[in-house]
Amino acid sequence: MAALKTILYLVVFPGLLFLFLYSTFIEWFDRKVYARLQNRMGPTHTGRSGLLQPIADFVKLMAKEDIVPDQADKTLFSSLPIIGLAVVITAGLFLPVWHIDPAAASMISFPGDVIILLYLLSLPTLIFFLAGWASTNAFSIIGGTRVLTMLFGYEVPLFLAVLSPALLAGSWRLAEIAAFYRAHPLLMLPNILGFGVALIAVQAKLERTPFDIPHAETEIVGGTFTEYSGKKLAFFRLMTDIELVVSAGLIATVFLGGFSGGIVLAFVQFVLKTLFVVFLLSVLRAVTGRIRVDQVVTFAWKWLAPLAVLQLLIVILIKGFLL
Amino acid sequence: MKIATFLPELIRHLFKKPATLDYPFKKIAVPAGFRGTPFLHPEICIVCKACERDCPAEAIEITSVNEAEKRFKMVIHNDRCIHCAQCVDSCPTTPVKAMEMDTLHEIAAFDRHDLKAEWVFTRALPKKPAAPAGDKPEPSPAKS
Amino acid sequence: MKFNIPIGPQHPALKEPISIRLTVEGEVIRDADLRLGYNHRGLEKLAEEKSWIQNIYLTERICGICSHSHSTCFVQGVEKLMEIEPPRRGVYLRYLVSELERVHSHLLWLGVAGHEAGFDTFFMYTWRDREVVMDLLEMISGNRVHYAINTLGGVRRDIDAALRKKILDGLAVLKARSEYYFKIGAAEPTFVGRLAGVGRLTKQRAMDLCAVGPQARASGVARDVRKDDPHDFYNEVDFDVATADTCDVLGRTVVRIKELFESYKICEQILAKLPAGPVAVKAPRRAKPNEVVSRYEAPRGENIHYIIANGSEKPERLKVRAPTLGNYASTIEILRHGFIADVPLIFAAIDPCICCAERTVDLIDARSGEERTLRFADLRRMANERARTLPLQRNVAWPL
Repeated sequence: MAALKTILYLVVFPGLLFLFLYSTFIEWFDRKVYARLQNRMGPTHTGRSGLLQPIADFVKLMAKEDIVPDQADKTLFSSLPIIGLAVVITAGLFLPVWHIDPAAASMISFPGDVIILLYLLSLPTLIFFLAGWASTNAFSIIGGTRVLTMLFGYEVPLFLAVLSPALLAGSWRLAEIAAFYRAHPLLMLPNILGFGVALIAVQAKLERTPFDIPHAETEIVGGTFTEYSGKKLAFFRLMTDIELVVSAGLIATVFLGGFSGGIVLAFVQFVLKTLFVVFLLSVLRAVTGRIRVDQVVTFAWKWLAPLAVLQLLIVILIKGFLL
Repeated sequence: MKIATFLPELIRHLFKKPATLDYPFKKIAVPAGFRGTPFLHPEICIVCKACERDCPAEAIEITSVNEAEKRFKMVIHNDRCIHCAQCVDSCPTTPVKAMEMDTLHEIAAFDRHDLKAEWVFTRALPKKPAAPAGDKPEPSPAKS
Repeated sequence: MKFNIPIGPQHPALKEPISIRLTVEGEVIRDADLRLGYNHRGLEKLAEEKSWIQNIYLTERICGICSHSHSTCFVQGVEKLMEIEPPRRGVYLRYLVSELERVHSHLLWLGVAGHEAGFDTFFMYTWRDREVVMDLLEMISGNRVHYAINTLGGVRRDIDAALRKKILDGLAVLKARSEYYFKIGAAEPTFVGRLAGVGRLTKQRAMDLCAVGPQARASGVARDVRKDDPHDFYNEVDFDVATADTCDVLGRTVVRIKELFESYKICEQILAKLPAGPVAVKAPRRAKPNEVVSRYEAPRGENIHYIIANGSEKPERLKVRAPTLGNYASTIEILRHGFIADVPLIFAAIDPCICCAERTVDLIDARSGEERTLRFADLRRMANERARTLPLQRNVAWPL
């Protein structure tokens, strides 16, 4: 019985099927908001007001021809999309999506799981680099090196920013962090700086404008994805979508007080809070242009890292004086 | 350094109607004078062949069907036509020109041979141009 | 580690095929080489087989964005060959469409620059505003691209009072939007950070390498055919030549935005001073044997058409020197010292219209009949050598 329940959780909710459907919904929302900000329509016809468009894109890519370059390392080339997908889905299982009791707030919940989640979210960067490297194409290699160069910039601020609220809450466990902030909602305010830093750092992790340099279409064709087509590309795109959902969920959990109140209410809160975070990320995408990779690293170390450290200092002060 | 200077404009756009149109379910009307596809008024055409000579794309073909009855066939190859309307400008008939441009522009077809338009007609007699008021009389009347 | 990166012939950054071979070390470009000819269509040969009136439409199709430039440059030259003078109203309307085309081309370029810099929102906004001028051109001429408003001896259509009012209203809207872009777009740090200091071309090098158009004007070279060679019209309107001193891509952007404002000024003056009268005179079918050089300031720079007539209905020879061809030499120079990430921007900043520039040069040895195709570099070397050895001629009369 327990085994059946686990399989159900893994495959249906909050695992594979739920993440697949929800990530396509989030992609639709992101594209619609981005389009409306630019005074155009966005996806309109597939399904009601274009809701089925991301699924249609996925299905179309699955049906296309799958080409593996001659000189590429075939095993590495072909297995990377699947490994990537597995990594982000595993990361998704850590989100405290329902809240029947604090002891079992997500499918996997134990002290220290915020660190594991952050680590799982760093793996896709390495996977992108390997994908670029395995393609043996000049454009892909440059894309891969750019991905790693960006990693040097945003990783430290992201970790610091996400761990500050954890410090304040006094726990390394996602469910407890969320519960703490639900109990003391005012304490969410000192974390505003970290919220901003985390949003920008997450935008860099997800490789969206202004940090979409690794797959900058007008410069290096497709960057790391240049040689990928068909099913492999479909899986990579699904992986980036689910990464968006998981990152938004992480930020919502740690900064916005998680999701509570029984299964249905928690689910509704999950949807609303992740939509809010994705809305902010879409506005950030629309309002800026792409910056160069050296400018990314300079910006990260000049602005993001000091602000994250400042946030840490604020948290330490509050913890010392108030609690 | 001003950050995100576009931001107020961006947010304002969230509440505006999109500037793009839901084509092909909604269409805009083209303005009058839009150069669409050329067509012939065969009852006016005097077969001077000025349009055939001046067409940059060699899209007009006039052949004789019956020499005695003065029957001609004009084929307009709309797949070659570049919609410049030079044929309309070159057409000398007055007061109404035999060549006219309509506003049809959605003429795509699967086979380019479906885009040929044909007219078989008898040549019209060239009219005497009306004498403009106050001018000296014509040296000789035009022969038909 | 040195890499050879090919940009093109097929590349998302390029709207048309051209091959740029870059030798890079990491992200820095060490050397650049340009290969042309992918878009060659044999237009100059085709022009010899079409009559003068058919050639108006042919030259118009050398390019889609600057179609009126080529058509006007050609018609200006042929009118001189046929010794006819178009009526003033026709001239004013012709250059009204020219300035509107300049507006549409610069707005298009602003969007493309935004897209190359990854700033898609700017791209969408400028192209939405460009629809205003496209609709105006459609109302004036009957088509959004390839206006075909020129004819030998004037223009083909006239505007009435209602259309005149619509044009003025459209210009007012565009002016407000352009001011907004000038104020805000130039201050957006991610956008400006990509443009400033990128693609430097000093004033001396710009003059040495014969840069034309906004590429030269952004380096402080105040050269504009509308001022140097007004051709009967531009000396009757009041406008300034837009220049910038920064010598980089940001300067080129600023020059183009300033030219937008100058174009609005010129259009308003044209509509205010529009003389009454006919819009065209009748042109003969043949031109007397003669040759003419016609120059025109296209949105991208100086456009030169060289036409030889031999007394028949068709031209003997048409030679087109499009502005982008003139800018290739300075582009290679600029590319040599940049980052890979700057290549699309540098290349977009010359506003490349590669199909305008695709002309080969074939040399046929008169004695042996042997044919050689020359590269641009060889031509330049030969021209420089000859310029050094020939005696200077003063007071040369232009055959115009």
